Amino acid sequence: MNQADLSKLVSALRIAVKPKPRRFSCPEGPAGRLEKLRATVTALVKYERIELNHPRAEEAQGYAERLISDAIRNGDCHKHTMEMADYWLNEKQLVHKLFKVLVPRYQNYNSSFTRLVLGPKTYPGYYVGTAILELKGNPFPALQPETHNYHYWLHNVLLEEAKKEFRSARQDRNAGTTESVTAES
Amino acid sequence: MLRRAVLQTFRQGLAQSFFKRNAVSLSETTVTHQPIETSNEADEKSVSKQKPGDESGNTVVVAPPEFRFMYPEFLPDPAMERRNRLKEKLERIDMLQRRSVVEIPEFYTGSVMAVTVADANSPNKFARFVGICIQRGGSGLRAWFILRNVVDKQGVEILYEMYCPLIQKIEVLRLERRLDESLLYLRDALPEYSTFPLDMEPERRLNNSVVPINPLKVKLRPRPWLERWERQNLQGVEDLNLPQRFYDKAEKVAKPWEKYDLMLQYRKTIPAEEQEKIFADVHSQLQQQEFKRKIRRQHSALNDSHMVRVGRDANPNQTRISGSIVPSCMLSSAGDMTFRLETYHY
Repeated sequence: MNQADLSKLVSALRIAVKPKPRRFSCPEGPAGRLEKLRATVTALVKYERIELNHPRAEEAQGYAERLISDAIRNGDCHKHTMEMADYWLNEKQLVHKLFKVLVPRYQNYNSSFTRLVLGPKTYPGYYVGTAILELKGNPFPALQPETHNYHYWLHNVLLEEAKKEFRSARQDRNAGTTESVTAES
Repeated sequence: MLRRAVLQTFRQGLAQSFFKRNAVSLSETTVTHQPIETSNEADEKSVSKQKPGDESGNTVVVAPPEFRFMYPEFLPDPAMERRNRLKEKLERIDMLQRRSVVEIPEFYTGSVMAVTVADANSPNKFARFVGICIQRGGSGLRAWFILRNVVDKQGVEILYEMYCPLIQKIEVLRLERRLDESLLYLRDALPEYSTFPLDMEPERRLNNSVVPINPLKVKLRPRPWLERWERQNLQGVEDLNLPQRFYDKAEKVAKPWEKYDLMLQYRKTIPAEEQEKIFADVHSQLQQQEFKRKIRRQHSALNDSHMVRVGRDANPNQTRISGSIVPSCMLSSAGDMTFRLETYHY
């Protein structure tokens, strides 16, 4: 009670995890929620980039990250991990893809394995809007342009130094002229 | 010696990080990933024993994996709304401080324990209770456990907060585990399963490295019960022999999908990397305390044979209605340690 569960060792997820899970209404009730998310996670692993509604994308992102992090931590000989992979991936060839393709791809990652990009909110429609959920390292062209930090590139470093020199030279010049003015008065 | 090595590592690490910070401004191009970290982590995971601080730079002191079972209250409450790293760190310091004063031994649900509490209203100023630990919970300084015993045909349960300053002594008379993490079903079991003599002596274990699991299956009294035990998947209970409708309803009400709910599991657990950090923080001090206690015990064992005892029984663990109970630590040689009977000073 209030103590952390010790039965399983879990890797830290590198996405923002909300404290409470979302409910998805469906005829089967709470059982149906996991069925829906299962379909989403299967599609994500199969197609590596899917467009869907934002709430489901956020929930599925968590489950996909957990599945991949468990596969990386425990490998395919671990009984519990294999059971989870078997449950979450409806198509059995994707279990092979998870352990043979995705695990080596994400072995040395220090960031999250998935990326959630907000999509268009078409009017009229679902208010919360769409999202694109993709696995990093997928073969498709990037959704967003890559941002590089150009601050430390040589030409920028030289320009910064030149700016500093110019400003200090200007200060010295101004100081020189004011001194001469005060001396005269 | 271990502490010095750890301090040295810490100082070296500090110096290195300082150097790195200055170096970055001159030669950094883009921020690159450092795959070295993860491979280090993998090594640490495979090593179950603690690595002492080496002379070379980047070694990290890691606690053995059993620490999370021995000291579960050092892990914080997993609920995300209540996490506060600073508060947890301060709590851990306080917990270690308390543990340096009173020995809080390793115990599990199913162990038989004796707790001595300071009680102003009792004739001896102490109150000792022996019982089986049926549940433990809480995190940090609020960690608690419940002891159950049957005294004069009356079932008695007492909840003790492990870090309460009134607690004078916690002894584990029998260290073992049961098939379940919670033994609340003993309330509905036959009284013999919860009865332990109040003057029970501590049992010595032959094999100190493994905590035995007692495969006892308990018989429950006939219904009505306090809880619907048939719905709880208990291992340590004998066949309940209920009519089939109970099991049918249990199936209807069950949530078998929760077993596969990975995010539910995640929200109930502290991630392994954080656990390692917490125990690495704490284990060197715990080990030092353990070591000091061992030495003290050896000293007192040597001195007990020479000491003349006045007004005290040969068995230090017997409860007495009249006369005072003198804990064994008070009999150790002068200047060794003082027994703190007065109130806890904050």
